[in-house]
Amino acid sequence: MQKEKTVSSFTIPIGPQHPALKEPGHFLITVDGEIVTKTVVRLGYAHRGIERALEERNYVQCMYLLERICGICSHIHATAYCHAVEQLAGVEVPPRAQAIRLLVAELERIHSHFLWLGVAAHEAGFDTLFMYSWRDRETVMDLLENMTGNRVNYSANLLGGVKFDVDDALEGEILKGLEFLEERTHHYLDVVKTDIMFLQRTSGIGVMTRRQAEVLGAVGPTARASGVARDIRVEAPYGAYVEHPVNIILEQDGDLRARFIVRLRELFESYRLIREVLETLPAGELVGRVPRRIKASETVSRVEAPRGELFYFVKSNGSDKPERVKVRTPTICNMLSVIKLAVGHQLADIPMILTGIDPCFSCNDRSVQIRSGDNLQVLTWEQLRQFGA
Amino acid sequence: MDILRSFFAILIFPGGLCLLFVSLIYEWVDRKLLAQLQNRIGPRWFQPFADVIKLLAKEEVVPEGVDAGLFVGLPILALAGGLTAALYVPLFGLVPIYNFPGDLIVTLYLLSLLTLCMGLAGSNTLDRFSLVGATRTLTQLFSYEAPFLLALLGPAILTGSWQISDILAYTNSHWLLLTQPLGFLIAIIGLMGKLELPPFDAPEAETEIVAGALTEYSGRGLALFRLGKGVELLVGLTLIAAFYLGGVTNPVFFLLKTLLLLLIMVGVQSLMTRLRIDQTVGLWWRYGVLAVFVQWLGIIVLKGVLL
Amino acid sequence: MKSVTMLSDVLRSLFGEPVTEKYPFERREAPERLRSSLHWDSEKCTGCGLCATDCPANAIEMIVLDKKAKRFVLVYHADRCTFCAQCEFSCRQGCLELSNKEWELAALSRTAFINYFGEQANIDEALQAADQSE
Repeated sequence: MQKEKTVSSFTIPIGPQHPALKEPGHFLITVDGEIVTKTVVRLGYAHRGIERALEERNYVQCMYLLERICGICSHIHATAYCHAVEQLAGVEVPPRAQAIRLLVAELERIHSHFLWLGVAAHEAGFDTLFMYSWRDRETVMDLLENMTGNRVNYSANLLGGVKFDVDDALEGEILKGLEFLEERTHHYLDVVKTDIMFLQRTSGIGVMTRRQAEVLGAVGPTARASGVARDIRVEAPYGAYVEHPVNIILEQDGDLRARFIVRLRELFESYRLIREVLETLPAGELVGRVPRRIKASETVSRVEAPRGELFYFVKSNGSDKPERVKVRTPTICNMLSVIKLAVGHQLADIPMILTGIDPCFSCNDRSVQIRSGDNLQVLTWEQLRQFGA
Repeated sequence: MDILRSFFAILIFPGGLCLLFVSLIYEWVDRKLLAQLQNRIGPRWFQPFADVIKLLAKEEVVPEGVDAGLFVGLPILALAGGLTAALYVPLFGLVPIYNFPGDLIVTLYLLSLLTLCMGLAGSNTLDRFSLVGATRTLTQLFSYEAPFLLALLGPAILTGSWQISDILAYTNSHWLLLTQPLGFLIAIIGLMGKLELPPFDAPEAETEIVAGALTEYSGRGLALFRLGKGVELLVGLTLIAAFYLGGVTNPVFFLLKTLLLLLIMVGVQSLMTRLRIDQTVGLWWRYGVLAVFVQWLGIIVLKGVLL
Repeated sequence: MKSVTMLSDVLRSLFGEPVTEKYPFERREAPERLRSSLHWDSEKCTGCGLCATDCPANAIEMIVLDKKAKRFVLVYHADRCTFCAQCEFSCRQGCLELSNKEWELAALSRTAFINYFGEQANIDEALQAADQSE
């Protein structure tokens, strides 16, 4: 093993295999004692060539492949894709289907934030909070299973609508589950705000000012914790969010504690939304008809994933297979902020800062074409497979 | 005959094998209690045994660039230190096997030997995680060691002797918990720091530096370090129970009192977040030392006034 | 500022039961909408093959022996299936259904996962044709 030892610096590799990371990613951290002086990030370990594989599947099959980019935000990927394709085909989705899509999306947001709370607590060394928050997360997973048939990768969408309906019994279950979760969320918000030892690990750490957040392009709860009001559900409402507006949750401190508080307060907003939608669920059918062949055109769709803004570009060419689908996930926007913020902190804070942006490495490994002068390097399918091997 | 009896006492009962066996049971109790507090099922009773047997059966990988002698020898030294320290404390409620004037200091030093061995083992390797872990282990050693030692020496000051059996003669009938509460508190929290239990597990922070000083260890070396830690747990609990909780005069009291202490430790483990190493040092050198000094002042004043 | 915020939870658990379900000794009822193995009703099938076209995992193969006489064999690879239920919705005749009971699908070899649906005579003919073409 090579040890780079300059005058008094020392590099520590966090990843690609490391207990702090749930997915592979490489952070080469240069430390001076315990203080970090430089961070270099290398991603790409979870690249699966999904965008290339999409070009060989028809529109229906693509949706399921896109759902599996990420396990935690699978539904929102499928929703974004469906929005784009429905725009291309000029199909109107019935309002009941849009409401049900919102229900599943908000339940997924709840699930994602609880998962994140547990993982962040584990990184801080607070295993008890980890165990309890994941126990409570089982409630929302059971709700999703009763509603859609699966705990992750719900496959709730069809091109043009949703697959299933919400009946009264299910509505009752959801409301009961939400009551339990709301009580627990109050408790966790209390823990996060007032536990002295937990605050020692989160307060004043990883501070990102509002200006920095805007310049670095942070999105989602990471940006909202620094006072930047970016939320696609508010800026460009899509689907049922037009009838059910969302209140944006902001905090001004910009440190880790603020990020915890923003995500927990967003949970309350989700509970309110779900109750509102269940009360005013419009009647109607569940699916609109989307043609097999879609005429040549291109479009973008933006949605709010639990981690931030998710951006899809879909280009059709008249056949039943898409020409190009480009996915830009929120984690790659927030990754820059980690690199910037890590400098000057202690080594023990690095996993916490990384977890603070809620990283989803399998989401962010898409292909990037870097043009520098005339040196354009394009890899064929075979070369790409060899590169990854 | 005497030699045979000594060998039996050191190697089989109550030291040696019996000690190792019971320390693994205590490790199981620790894990099971922690699981119960976290609302889950813990491991079954034979899990620590299975862990040790499995580790002993695996190959020991000696990484490149280390001093092989030190690498293989340090775990043995650590376990030996722990087992030797056990000879002077009243294990299982029985009279200590050996005693001589000043054996309290020797016992405490032998317990620290284990931590020193781990620190050395970490600095021995070229792996960055081990180096950071070793640095943290030794830093933590410097922070809790002074208050912990002073807290355990409190009863010695009271009885005016450095010999454990003399101190026991006094504490067996007096509950020092009531007269030296601060000392008890520092002793039990210091034991948590010594054993690198949360919230003081920065040297072994799984989510930051993989496994700290023991990252490169596998197979037999890792098994011996883990056994050493288990022995340290048992010896530490015995000492604190013997000094502060009114002595351990028979096995039943031993079990009850040490398990009570273990319950307190597990409770504290589950309720607290891990502290960063600089926060640990700050905490101990500000509040730990202060508490112990207040306690000692109390002891000296009371001893002068009452005795 | 509190220092033991999780105390209430911890105390409640100390004197309570763990929340873990002891599978396989205690099994929970599968939810009604669970999507597990596929079943095919050959009565209404017209052999359009949309299920096979739309399956994202290529888990369905439609072998057409005779379209006019409606002799089809459906080959279902349960090991490739992702249980997304797209086939159920693609089929306009409603021949396909994902059961909600068969969720313990472990087997020791891959061949156990290949399911042939259809009349026995048709299946034999299809298998014979496959053997001959190899």
